[in-house]
Amino acid sequence: MKRFVTAITSLFLLLALAGQFSAAGQEEAIAKTNLKVGDVAPDFTLTSNKWEKVKLSDFRGKKNVVLAFYVLAFTGG
Amino acid sequence: MAKLEASDTVVLGISLDSPAANAAFAEKIGVTFPLLSDMDKEVLTAYGILKPYDVKGSKFKWAERTTIVVDKEGKIQHVEQGDSAVDPNSALSVCTGLHKPHGQ
Repeated sequence: MKRFVTAITSLFLLLALAGQFSAAGQEEAIAKTNLKVGDVAPDFTLTSNKWEKVKLSDFRGKKNVVLAFYVLAFTGG
Repeated sequence: MAKLEASDTVVLGISLDSPAANAAFAEKIGVTFPLLSDMDKEVLTAYGILKPYDVKGSKFKWAERTTIVVDKEGKIQHVEQGDSAVDPNSALSVCTGLHKPHGQ
């Protein structure tokens, strides 16, 4: 039940954000992810700040993963 | 963030900065979790979160601020975009929820 509530909350949040983007009305709306709750997260391997390869699927069965996408380093976001 | 890491969860920061820039950034802000470099924008594209920015007339495509929680089965449990995604509290509450038995 809690998951359901979370899903619904996320949906409303996304809808609100979608409204915001279209209101901005500039260029293509490519910022909005198509990924939804319940989808399998696309796997990736990226290089870390310590030059180590980090693969998302390596955490499978072990850890939850929070992916925090940020705009640019040194910009406070 | 320490709370998040304690709840059986890892945090991965992702942007299109170089590993060297991320190393300097990590040192400056003192993060303990990895900052990953997506210089080819492959992951940003696959996740559909590239956003056009206009800085003094120069146009760039960078990541939109996005927090995505992936559970241990590799499935997405939470997606948050925009400025509210900077606040880790909602991601934290999702992760805490993942530890509870099903149906609660």
